[in-house]
Amino acid sequence: MRPCCGRPNCRGPAGRPDVTDTNRRDILKGAAALGAVLTLPVRLEAAARGPAGDQPALNAFIRLPATGGAVFQCPYAEMGQGIYTGVAQILADELDIPFEHIRVEHAPTAEAYRLLEFAPGVPKIRVTGGSFSTRSCYAALRAAAASARRMLVQAAAAQWGVPEADCVAELGVVRHPATARHTAYAALTARAAALPVAEPILKPANQLRYIGKPMKRLDTGAKINGSAQFGIDTRVPGMVYAAVKHCPVFGGEALSFDDSILSSSRHILAVEKIPGGIAVVADSFHRAKKALADVKVAWSDSPLAGFSSTEFAERLRARLDEAGETAESIGDAPAALAGAARSLSADYQLPFLAHATMEPPNCTADVSADRAEIWIGNQMVDLVVALVQGATGLPAERIIVHTPFLGGGFGRRVAFTDQVIPAVLLSKKLAKPVKLIFTREEDIQHDFYRPMTAVKLRAGFDAQRAPVAWHFTIAGDGPGRNGNPGFVGKLDESVFGGLNKQPYALAHKRVDYVYEPIPIPVGYWRSVENSGNAFCKECFIDEMAAAAGLDEVQFRRNLLADAPRFLAVLERVAGLSNWRSARYSAPDGSIRALGVALHEAFGSIVGEVAEVSIKEGAAVVHRVWAVVDCGSVVNPAQIEVQLQSAIVFGLSAALRGEIVIEKGAVRQGNFTDYPIVGMSDMPVVEVAIIESGAPLGGIGEAGTPPIAPAVVNALAKLTGSRIRSLPLSTHHLVTI
Amino acid sequence: MPAYEISINGRSRRVDVEADTPLLWVIRDTLGLCGTKFGCGVGACGACTVLLDGQAQRTCILPIAALGATSRITTIEGLAGDGHSHAVQRAWSELDVPQCGYCQSGQIMAAVALLRELPKPTPQDVRRRMTNLCRCGTYQRIHAAVLRAAELSRPGGPA
Repeated sequence: MRPCCGRPNCRGPAGRPDVTDTNRRDILKGAAALGAVLTLPVRLEAAARGPAGDQPALNAFIRLPATGGAVFQCPYAEMGQGIYTGVAQILADELDIPFEHIRVEHAPTAEAYRLLEFAPGVPKIRVTGGSFSTRSCYAALRAAAASARRMLVQAAAAQWGVPEADCVAELGVVRHPATARHTAYAALTARAAALPVAEPILKPANQLRYIGKPMKRLDTGAKINGSAQFGIDTRVPGMVYAAVKHCPVFGGEALSFDDSILSSSRHILAVEKIPGGIAVVADSFHRAKKALADVKVAWSDSPLAGFSSTEFAERLRARLDEAGETAESIGDAPAALAGAARSLSADYQLPFLAHATMEPPNCTADVSADRAEIWIGNQMVDLVVALVQGATGLPAERIIVHTPFLGGGFGRRVAFTDQVIPAVLLSKKLAKPVKLIFTREEDIQHDFYRPMTAVKLRAGFDAQRAPVAWHFTIAGDGPGRNGNPGFVGKLDESVFGGLNKQPYALAHKRVDYVYEPIPIPVGYWRSVENSGNAFCKECFIDEMAAAAGLDEVQFRRNLLADAPRFLAVLERVAGLSNWRSARYSAPDGSIRALGVALHEAFGSIVGEVAEVSIKEGAAVVHRVWAVVDCGSVVNPAQIEVQLQSAIVFGLSAALRGEIVIEKGAVRQGNFTDYPIVGMSDMPVVEVAIIESGAPLGGIGEAGTPPIAPAVVNALAKLTGSRIRSLPLSTHHLVTI
Repeated sequence: MPAYEISINGRSRRVDVEADTPLLWVIRDTLGLCGTKFGCGVGACGACTVLLDGQAQRTCILPIAALGATSRITTIEGLAGDGHSHAVQRAWSELDVPQCGYCQSGQIMAAVALLRELPKPTPQDVRRRMTNLCRCGTYQRIHAAVLRAAELSRPGGPA
């Protein structure tokens, strides 16, 4: 039997929903009736026809098998963020079926699942990222499910010869209370699917059973008994294994290699060049990896052979006095700074970072002359198809991509060219299915890195020490240009975002961007530019508070009078943490301090307070209080754990995360020298949620940006000096 | 090539692999038990943890030739007995621990080994001795789940 996509009933290629023979139904014809509820145009295609003998789909998202329950097609990949559970809550509520009867699958490639519109007129795309999953599909899924529910009711009403309005749908059954008749959804599906698409009538909030509740995850069972399928678990009959080694120096290629290993072992099937390196294919991964280590390779010269991250950091800092391009200008910050009674200036610096997902990058490809089948945990399935098209010349409908569970994403799994292309080429060449796996060292040394940046922050105060202006200049480069060549060097929010559009009320604000191209691969890393820029901005706010002679919370409060959502988050986190500006002694004898930070990203506002002490020259983070205003809530339990997760992710970077490049090559190679936070240094994280009623915000990333500045702001009170670069492991800390 | 007779999840299996093959790849590729994961290859992350004679063992650095002739291996697939989940799995389910889930098999096996040695661990014991890495940062729930599993395993404890 074919391996599956992590879906218990995956039928592999034979049962792949047919997306070419579609019956397109555009619910936009009823858009007027949807009012403000449906904010995204959504096509309810009957795209998931299902295998023979099964029931027709009600629309692109919902299929009700004859055996009962429901199968939902989720547009987004499950990478730990809980989206399968979230979409199940949304669909179960509006369809009105029991939550536990739902199975969620990763939807096939089809236009119906492209829900993200970044700009008017730009084709919509499908990407699991940007903390967009829930926000981008919430309205569409509610509408789709409400429409399907109505069609089921209409089918029952027609069958019984009664008015639709006299029937009710509840937990998988349509009832006609007046005559006590009832029919299960499964028995109505065929008739309902033949009806015209119904205009959805959404349930009132007080009738929602699941949305807003801490429902348990649908994938927990499979993830605690070993049955959950990740890409790396793919097994295809006749499959062979590839190990890869890229040129240690970025930009290099294999010129030649010694393939004598081929003749010395019957287990070794191929030694091949791949873009930027070589691959060994064998009948087991261990054999491929071991043989690869013995292959002598002559690497080409690379223009990056002299690249040093230390020197690059200096180059960035040297450009911070340049004018650059202006990303934001409110009032006249340069003039206000020139006329300020008192001013402040500080330079901050952030390192390169790797993602280090627990599941190393991998891809399985089975390519023949007329079709290609790919298994890869990915955040952008349509791009996988496009890459395979480019590499094989096959039409899209001959390419099948399975997206199993992702063993972490964090932005690493939008960048998969380095896995898909060699796997496809090797499979094509050998005419066998090939599973290609990166070792951890390949992953750390050939990632798409969170960019290094340098930021100069300047502030001016009036004679009463009230802040009147700031002027930030950032030098660097960002992932916004990836796959977007015309964009290079332009005003790139993936570099300066999180410095502009700030809620603090100053009369004069300016943000400038100096473009300094980064020659190594850069990528999207959980919270992207916010991860670094919140550190610079929120630490600098504390520096400004000190210059103003004010408590850090009070200083922020003074500037947030016109930003009530920010103010509410700040007050709540200050209250939860029993905020005090002065350091104190803890019962264990340690001297501790609190640090605060506040940042908006992905539509959510997060405030964090960290309680920190210093032990043996290093920071110890004891507790973190985090408050999020994400507008409204689908699953509070998942918000809590996503905040904890985002905080641990940011804490690993703040404490120890650094990719150092010397002579064009990454020095780190595994968790031993690119360490991440473990259980023993995990703080207790307490989370509170504010439902302000603002538009739904993202949750997967918004917790990351404030943790580094909160910790560093606390440290400033312990060390008496200001740390302006990360990671903290590069500083020897002493409590004075 | 040498042949090895190994006992895994109560079954005896014969595998023909090189002596230096890490047990991880025998479990995953030769035997097809993919619940045990590859994370680092250097014994640093614990994603590949199984029980070897009841002790937690990181299998990515254990050559198959180093296995004792009578060694008994238990992987995540063999943890539940008679169709009943192990107490650690029940605690993991109750607390809904996993996020991406990739490291959780290893975490669960490490927790089983810890509770075998220390049936009543203190919170500090759990913090010190659960050393497997989780990039999603599920540590807070893992911590609570290990303590909960200790309660569930206690004779006369919560059912």
